[in-house]
Amino acid sequence: MKNLIKIIQEHIEYKQQIFKLAKSDLIKTYRGAALGWAWAIIKPTVTIFVYWFAFEIGIRSGKPVSNFPYFLWLIAGVVPWFYISDMLTSGTDTIRRYSYLVTKMKFPVATIPTFVSISKFMVHLILMSIVIGIFWAFGYPPTLYILQLPFYMILMFIFCTIWSLFASLLSSMSKDFGNLVKSMVTAVFWLSGIMWSVESIQIGWLKKLLMLNPVTFLVNGFRNCFINHTWFWQQPKRLLYFVIITFILLIIALWTYRKLRKDIPDVLG
Amino acid sequence: MKEKDIVIKFDHVTKLYKLFKSDKKRLLSAFIKGIKYQEKRAVNDVSFEIERGESVALFGRNGAGKSTILKMVTNVCFPTEGEITVNGRVSALLELTSGFDPEFTGRENIYLKGQLLGLKDNEIKELEQEIIDFAEIAEYIDQPVRTYSSGMKARLGFSINVNIRPEILIVDEALSVGDENFRKKCSSKVGEIIQKDNVTLLFVTHSPASAAEFCKRGMVMKNGKITFDGPIEEAIEKYREC
Repeated sequence: MKNLIKIIQEHIEYKQQIFKLAKSDLIKTYRGAALGWAWAIIKPTVTIFVYWFAFEIGIRSGKPVSNFPYFLWLIAGVVPWFYISDMLTSGTDTIRRYSYLVTKMKFPVATIPTFVSISKFMVHLILMSIVIGIFWAFGYPPTLYILQLPFYMILMFIFCTIWSLFASLLSSMSKDFGNLVKSMVTAVFWLSGIMWSVESIQIGWLKKLLMLNPVTFLVNGFRNCFINHTWFWQQPKRLLYFVIITFILLIIALWTYRKLRKDIPDVLG
Repeated sequence: MKEKDIVIKFDHVTKLYKLFKSDKKRLLSAFIKGIKYQEKRAVNDVSFEIERGESVALFGRNGAGKSTILKMVTNVCFPTEGEITVNGRVSALLELTSGFDPEFTGRENIYLKGQLLGLKDNEIKELEQEIIDFAEIAEYIDQPVRTYSSGMKARLGFSINVNIRPEILIVDEALSVGDENFRKKCSSKVGEIIQKDNVTLLFVTHSPASAAEFCKRGMVMKNGKITFDGPIEEAIEKYREC
């Protein structure tokens, strides 16, 4: 508890630096390439095309979902996944990547995952507005349900930032952990109902179990805004489970912080 | 009697490094007790006080614990036992080129580093020209730092750190930057800010001559302990003996 207050205080005290560093992280990701910012869009476009091609043309299982073309259903869920997977992989070695902030100057370590998360989130915002545009172009202008999009975005941001704090603390102590996470990303992707709809599973208990997965909850939440047209309070249990899991993750992250904070400079330095 | 204005205070500070056989063991040890490791006592029960405006030289052979002391003053690493109090903005010339982002230009790095040290944008703007002039890299300032030579990087790093108006300046043999002329310029700049702005200096060096130039007080370290603390001339003698 004491640590949580301290971490929040550090965030307030360093809020300017956090935003500056988020900005510089963002610039750094795309600078140095001739096409620069275009890569923020080209990369996901290629990935989406491949998924769409494999499923709709290749496997021919890309049937329309809730009367929406499979392509639209796909992008509504895969775009949030891009942010989540970014936070799973590069979010896990943020502290290692920014080790100079830990070993060379006085800087609150707990804010490092936050500014990296903000930087990735900015790209997500751009991609999400493109998604809204694509839906519109296909003849599906935004409905009232889009109002809950910021709600799911904030949940996703909070969850991924806490995750990144926990994971980057551990991975700065041991590279094994970072590798473990990286090898799990593909599994998470295929098990979280990003390419297929968890709703279509017939086995009741399995569906419930899969719905406990926070990634599934988030991806499903984004689809609620675009496709399912469901309000978040219509699925209160799912939201409750997500909040509980996030809370448990927060407690584990704080515990890890308490245990490792003072050792990290010695290990990285 | 005037109240003593103490800026750095070490109170029975001990720093232990734990040496593990592997990364895995280190990770486990954070959560499970009883994992075996070797102990390295880098700093052993050290106490001292430094007042505002003092310049102190810290002598010692390699591995005596000087760098660990500096790291603890800059609040980068934490003591295992004991307490440390530091009052004032610390500017450390530890590894001059470390805080730079190679993808950014020199100018952007000035801003980034200034912001990280807690300066406002308009404050940095005021200092910007001074920093560039001092580093003598005017024509390269808008090029990415990755294209700089190591000398240029070091000059820029030095220039930023001494020009951001530090209250406590920590110098770790950084005065050996660049050529003869630049070295002299650095020395006189450090001398100037100590005199003018009442900056506290903590100076780590192997060269007694340059220490005597700035410092009146000297501390000698051996095996993690401070074996002498007093006037600089005596400290230099003790350091030569050990």
